[in-house]
Amino acid sequence: MSQPVTIIMIEDDEGHARLIERNIRRSGVNNDILPFTNGTAAVGYLFGSDGSGRYHKGRALLILLDLNLPDMTGIDILRRVKENKYLKCAPVVVLTTTDDSQEIKRCYELGCNVYITKPVNYESFANAIRQLGLFFSVIQVPPAAP
Amino acid sequence: MRRRAIGHLLLLAAGLVVLTVISAGSVYLVNRAREDARSVLHTVEVENQISMVQLQLRRAESAQRGYLSTTRLDFQSDFEEAASKLTPALQRLSQLISDNPVQKRLVDEMIPLSNQRIEEFRRIIELARTQRIDDAAQIVREGIGRDAMKHIDDLASQMRAEEDRLFVERTTSADRSQTLAASMTAVGSGLVVVLAAISIFLVRRSARARDDAAALLRDSNLNLEATVDERTADLREANDEIQRFAYIVSHDLRSPLVNIMGFTSELEELRADIFKRIAMLSHAAASAAPAPVVAGETEPVLEGEDKQLSQDFAEALGFIKSSIAKMDRLISAILNLTREGRREFEPVPIDTRELIEGIVATMAHQAAEAQARIQIEPLPHIVSDRLAMEQIFSNLIDNALKYLRPGVPGDISIRGRTKLRFAIFEVADNGRGIDPKDHQRIFELFRRAGAQDKPGQGIGLAHVRALVRRLGGTMSVSSELHCGSTFTITLPINWTLNKRNRGS
Repeated sequence: MSQPVTIIMIEDDEGHARLIERNIRRSGVNNDILPFTNGTAAVGYLFGSDGSGRYHKGRALLILLDLNLPDMTGIDILRRVKENKYLKCAPVVVLTTTDDSQEIKRCYELGCNVYITKPVNYESFANAIRQLGLFFSVIQVPPAAP
Repeated sequence: MRRRAIGHLLLLAAGLVVLTVISAGSVYLVNRAREDARSVLHTVEVENQISMVQLQLRRAESAQRGYLSTTRLDFQSDFEEAASKLTPALQRLSQLISDNPVQKRLVDEMIPLSNQRIEEFRRIIELARTQRIDDAAQIVREGIGRDAMKHIDDLASQMRAEEDRLFVERTTSADRSQTLAASMTAVGSGLVVVLAAISIFLVRRSARARDDAAALLRDSNLNLEATVDERTADLREANDEIQRFAYIVSHDLRSPLVNIMGFTSELEELRADIFKRIAMLSHAAASAAPAPVVAGETEPVLEGEDKQLSQDFAEALGFIKSSIAKMDRLISAILNLTREGRREFEPVPIDTRELIEGIVATMAHQAAEAQARIQIEPLPHIVSDRLAMEQIFSNLIDNALKYLRPGVPGDISIRGRTKLRFAIFEVADNGRGIDPKDHQRIFELFRRAGAQDKPGQGIGLAHVRALVRRLGGTMSVSSELHCGSTFTITLPINWTLNKRNRGS
């Protein structure tokens, strides 16, 4: 059994963060969740003080990313994660209110693994999060980059 | 401007009048001068003729004398010649002065006298020829003829004096006309020069005014263009701003809505837990006996006030949730509209009939359900944005199907024609119609008319009208309640992206 996946949640709206966390827990996922409420703190954690991201070498991460952050756009974080050799294998789930097809396309082009629109219809939202829980339990975290 | 034009006209008229007067005066005066000259000539001729008459008389006399002294035949023939010339000379003279009664009287007096003289000469010559020289000399000596001759000379000098008087008179008159003509020409020329000067001044002044006006017009045209460009840019910016604003607002409104909905659902779950516990506690308190174990998912059994509380709670949550759902639909609609507004249109040639047949094919199921027949007449081809055209017609046909009268088979027709550079399309149905007071309202966002028995947000027609406007067209509706509706769309046949449409 490989080391447990750490979930990194980058979400500026604390309400959304709480709802996401609750639903993840409800679906029976007990992995650690590290919440960040702004882009800068998240980037600081992900890439470390030297900006290389070496710290996460060999660790299993899953990133939940909101696109509308107060200090930077989630798209930038997504691009940097996917360009980093230590982080690019970490699955990224984009969770946002935008359902603009252009933006969705852009995220997938940049390497986002799943794109979930935050629905106002709570049932489908909760459902999506639970599906995500299922998703967590089946992902095979690939062997870390050498 | 008008006054100035009238001034110019008056000036021209004055010039014309002056010139006409000068011309007429000149012609008149020249004629007068010619008349005067002829009179002068006439006077000279009359004097000449008087001398002629006297000359012939003298010639006759001297010939008679010569003959008397020599009796040579030459003198007799000389006399005959002079006598024969005298009569025509007299006739000519009386002709010339026929217009003057004074001269006429004198001539009339002169003619018998000269004739008498000639007769006398002839008698003397006759006497001489018949060798009666003495008798002849006697007659001559008597001097009867001399008095007559003297009388003739008097008459002649009287006539001359009369002619001289006339001559002086006519010369003066000729001089006067000439002076008049000269002064008239001088004054006229002066007037013409003055008028010309005024005209030149006025023409130059109006030319200057025209130049000034042209310059002013050019300037204001330039200004106007600049102003229009500026305003257009401002408008475009404002429009972009509104689009961005609507997008951001609708987007950011959604975020808290997710929370409200999420935590409302959480509250719902909490409510279930709370009332379950209340039910258990109240049971425990009431019976002091262990309450029947309530199976996890079933509604807790509540009584009295507790039940009322639970129902109120559920009702409040229900209102909150339905409101959230409605708000979400509105926000989504605004988002979609702004997204539409930001899409770049692309003009392509469209076979409108084919496009509408495609739309109708996708609605065949709805049409069959509504028992409606959709009839497409030949339609003009146009150049426009394909997607926008599809959205316009699918919205209109969808509405036509949606608002048919229940129990009446639908009859929907799509017609088209062209007028000048516009294509006019009509989507007509026999549905339930729209009250005329709602004709304006139905095009407004989130507004609907008639019985609210069909699902919808009140967006379709607002969207259609926005699209039609962006395509440079207009749309209108004509309808009566229960009598069907006809939506008319007028679009340019050849729509192009221009300044106005670009960047909006």
